[in-house]
Amino acid sequence: MIEFTNVSKTYPGGVKAIDDVSLTIEHGEFVVLLGPSGCGKTTLLRMVNQLEDITEGSIAVEGKNIHDLNKIDMRREIGYVIQSNGLFPNMTIEENVMVVPNLLGWSKEKRAERFDYLMDLIGMPPENYRGSFPHELSGGQQQRIGVARALAADPPVMLMDEPFGALDPIIRSRIQEEFMDIQKKLKKTILFVSHDIDEAIKLADKIVLLKDGEIQQFDRPAELLNRPVNDFVSEFVGEDSVLKSLNLYQVKDLQATLDLPAVEGSPDGKVFHPHDSLRHVLAHLLHPSRQYVYVEGEDGTTNGPVSVEHIEAFVREITA
Amino acid sequence: MMDFLDYLGRNYADIFAHTIEHMQLLGVSLTIAVLIGVPLGIYLTTNEQLASTVLQAASIILTIPSIALFGVMIPILSTIGQGIGFLPAVIALILYSQLPIIRNTYTAINNVDPNIRDAAKGIGMTTLQRLWKVEIPNGMPLIMAGVRTATVLSIGIGAIAAFIGSGGLGVLIDMGISRGNQNMVLAGAIAISILAIAADFGLKKIQVKFSPKGI
Repeated sequence: MIEFTNVSKTYPGGVKAIDDVSLTIEHGEFVVLLGPSGCGKTTLLRMVNQLEDITEGSIAVEGKNIHDLNKIDMRREIGYVIQSNGLFPNMTIEENVMVVPNLLGWSKEKRAERFDYLMDLIGMPPENYRGSFPHELSGGQQQRIGVARALAADPPVMLMDEPFGALDPIIRSRIQEEFMDIQKKLKKTILFVSHDIDEAIKLADKIVLLKDGEIQQFDRPAELLNRPVNDFVSEFVGEDSVLKSLNLYQVKDLQATLDLPAVEGSPDGKVFHPHDSLRHVLAHLLHPSRQYVYVEGEDGTTNGPVSVEHIEAFVREITA
Repeated sequence: MMDFLDYLGRNYADIFAHTIEHMQLLGVSLTIAVLIGVPLGIYLTTNEQLASTVLQAASIILTIPSIALFGVMIPILSTIGQGIGFLPAVIALILYSQLPIIRNTYTAINNVDPNIRDAAKGIGMTTLQRLWKVEIPNGMPLIMAGVRTATVLSIGIGAIAAFIGSGGLGVLIDMGISRGNQNMVLAGAIAISILAIAADFGLKKIQVKFSPKGI
């Protein structure tokens, strides 16, 4: 758990980088700090592990005020991943991943065991990479190692500063999905900086949208997209916010609002699974040759038909 | 040519002894120069203001002609009875070696990728751990390059130190000139060149050995 209480940072000369931020990230929650460059998102993140000073207010990690803790010790208990991966070129992959356990004085056996576990977790065979050096790896692999390093001492809290920002879109998307799977297993408390709304929507339990060091909106992604609280938020989420938000809803959400009859015989359109995204369904329906789709019911039935009008009605409801 | 080979045949033991002397002079002065220059270069990365002063001072020292520097040291060191000989030569070589060693160390540590430094800090390394585990290993090639430059420089200047009685291969050149013995001058000059090339080559091997494989 991370708690920001009335946190402000003022640079000498009076420029306010962070302006009275109060925010609570619950245990196991994935929160993305989102905003245009210069909004203070990275500064806010780096305040947590005391790489940036706080002018006013306080931050507590796992219930303890960070000012009462030893800087070096507290940093070792927080996972930290940065954009350019920050791997040490002079160390092997094993040394890189095990750098914090090493600082903490873990035994060699315990380290080797942990290394194998982490490499399996990120999907890289430990034996193939143990003695390799960072420059021998691709950008995506280096970033995976960066994540493994942050997880090495099993910290309850992770800070991630645009960790996937430098990767090409295809690799980025794949690593995001892998990371989501890891997070499902490990349930870390994560604070994640991004400037990419699509990434934030995909990953976050909640999004903090910042502008000029102030929180504009702190909400679940769907709420942020469909119920922006001010002009800045609605502009930032973009004109296609409704379309984006359909990514966050599944066929079963639509089913819950409709009472679709079961279909006798074979349906005359594509049948969607309850976990397919509504955006997917809409994209399918927009083709002029298709009027209806059907959805799989809970008890093996096929229900329908669903048309564009149903999705429109659903959107009216979520944006109301 | 035959004349020269004949000279070598008769004097090889003498030339060899002077080479050893030269290497002793280098060994002592370079060891001390590294022990002063590397820590100083590292310290200067934490003090920008002092850094420019020290680097400027080291640059100025390098512009002083060696003969002049020996001249200045004679009256000073005479007070402890060491006006000429091994000690002033060692001091001069240490002074001349400082610029390449300090400057390269300073640049090497300063040039470590800020992201790597940030990561090291963010995962909880102390300042000293960052230095030992990250900054020095990654700066090693550049630091060693400074030591190599200082070595080659010292081999040349070490020859001039023969004028104040430090011994070494400069003695052959010095004596050869005053006696009008061309073969003697040539033998000294060639031996110094070979020593310089060999030292540079040897240090390059050491540099590769001590530099981390990953960089």
